[in-house]
Amino acid sequence: MDPILVGEILSGLMFFGVIGMLMIGFPVAFTLAGTSLIFAYIGYQLDIFTFTSFTAMAGRYTGFMTNEVLVAVPLFIFMGVMLERSRIAEQLLLTMSKLFGNMRGGLGISVILVGALLAASTGVVGATVVTMGLISLPAMLRANYDPKLASGVICASGTLGQIIPPSTVLIFMADMLAGINSQVQMSKGNFAPDPVSVGDLFAGAFIPGVLLVSLYLLWMVFKAITDPESCPATPVPPEERKGLFKEVLVALVPPLALITAVLGSILLGIATPTEAASVGAVGASVLAATRWRLSWQVLKEVVVSTATITSMIFIILFGASIFAIVFRQLGGDNLVHEFLSSMPGGAIGAMIVVMLIMFVLGFILDTFEIIFIVIPITAPILLMLGLDPVWVGVMVGVNLQTSFLTPPFGFSLFYLRGVAPASVSTGQIYKGAIPFVALQIVAIALLFIFPELVTWLPSVLYR
Amino acid sequence: MLRTLSSLMRLINGLNKAIGYSFAWLALGIVLVCFSVVMERYFFSNTRLWAQDLYIWLNGAMFTAVAGFALLRGDHVRVDIFYRAASKRRKAIADLVGVVLFLLPFTYVVYAYSVTFVQRSWRLWEGSANVGGMPGLFVLKSFIIVFAVVVALQGISMIIRSILVLKDRDDLIPRDYQYDAPATEPTKE
Repeated sequence: MDPILVGEILSGLMFFGVIGMLMIGFPVAFTLAGTSLIFAYIGYQLDIFTFTSFTAMAGRYTGFMTNEVLVAVPLFIFMGVMLERSRIAEQLLLTMSKLFGNMRGGLGISVILVGALLAASTGVVGATVVTMGLISLPAMLRANYDPKLASGVICASGTLGQIIPPSTVLIFMADMLAGINSQVQMSKGNFAPDPVSVGDLFAGAFIPGVLLVSLYLLWMVFKAITDPESCPATPVPPEERKGLFKEVLVALVPPLALITAVLGSILLGIATPTEAASVGAVGASVLAATRWRLSWQVLKEVVVSTATITSMIFIILFGASIFAIVFRQLGGDNLVHEFLSSMPGGAIGAMIVVMLIMFVLGFILDTFEIIFIVIPITAPILLMLGLDPVWVGVMVGVNLQTSFLTPPFGFSLFYLRGVAPASVSTGQIYKGAIPFVALQIVAIALLFIFPELVTWLPSVLYR
Repeated sequence: MLRTLSSLMRLINGLNKAIGYSFAWLALGIVLVCFSVVMERYFFSNTRLWAQDLYIWLNGAMFTAVAGFALLRGDHVRVDIFYRAASKRRKAIADLVGVVLFLLPFTYVVYAYSVTFVQRSWRLWEGSANVGGMPGLFVLKSFIIVFAVVVALQGISMIIRSILVLKDRDDLIPRDYQYDAPATEPTKE
């Protein structure tokens, strides 16, 4: 048989083989690498794979270890974990809910706003949903919220961290798309392409993020008007109201100022994301210290969490590199290329297919695995077909976010199930998510029809 | 025999915990070095090129060195659709299969295909590619091998745990390393 054909078949089998093997439940990073090696060995036996391609591996790994863009990842995680462990995040939520508590739906609104601001830090869906679920769900249930609405709000706001800057997901996406884009432009004869930066992706994701938050808020307001029973007001007792102004000043303003400063300095081009992240990490520690929350114990927890979360993410990248090396040498890239360029509808058709594949993968895999596997093999073709790299990156983010929210497999629903009290049924969590999935689909459709929603801000900010 | 294995498992866990708890502090190092570089640049218009390399390299050393510790703590994400609900025997089998089939071959390949790369770097006494950058890139590159070793060791520890579970000798597994151990997250208080 034709060795090229055999290789392509093998690479296709490998993709599904990886997904099958992952079901065993062994950590993803190692399953990904190990399964790829098994297929490499099969390919070697069939004389269509040589192990010499692994000599490129050590160089790639060194590249990840000396990458000045990706070092923003541990810094942002440090900031997020510090805000969480020092319970600044929790206080922010409590104060915000007092501020809006007198309104119907006010508690829900504050959950959405805090989720949008804080979810961003780690980018790991599970962590955010669990934190929000532990703090906000009991509060909303005590306030007699409809459990469906409460869990929907939490799951949706918990996934916002995928897309709202400074999301770590966008940092990795920018790093990958930058390399792919310069190669693609080079092959098209453009030897001085506009580089894709983390700032571009942050700026590109900004308006879509605001759009999503606004849609969620509108839904909350709509529920408060049409179905007041589902989200009653939680009147704040007068004695607490008096101290509220001071509480807002202490609990609300400083963290908001910090997050705004970090994000603002990146978007305005004053600082690189890495620089801004280090200021954010120090700022969060200072905030914790001024509240006497920065104990030795807290600091130790923060460094251990930061180190292990960072390691977990980068090791997936290590595993995914093995997958990429094997997949490429077996000819999988060509297979994907042929498949995507034969799609009806040209670039948009290909994009829709990639989006659908990622959406389905989102049922079993977390963000990092998906983007580390799928972006390197599909983005070159999408960019070759003329799509804007920033738009592709942001669309992928919103798409995955939707996937994590979609019953019955959505990740964030599982995580909420894990921390929700037994009084909230799984059915209620599923039903609660459905309106938010609909809102996501509206947003995706808008971004498809008006790509300027993504591309306009970066073009204005970084001209 | 099982007792010897149990001691080996405890030894590996102890080693990875020691490495994990010490190298985790590099996270604070990254924050402080990067912050001071930023402050120097914006307020004193001064840049120490080696410091710019340093915080990036600290990240590389950190995430490779703590990988085994993260595995010990169960921080590496799993697709747990089936795993979560599985009995501890099934979990033990899944881990046994995973280590033998995926983890050990992976770490072996990482070791085998980076060892000459690292040796060459040592011979050249290689430093940063940036002018005025850090010396000792060979130390950082060696962490690829550190990664392979700490993860492989933790894999061996997981094999022993699986064997002990399958032999119904849970009593030989420390409490915090058992499958039904309470979450490693410290309780919020």
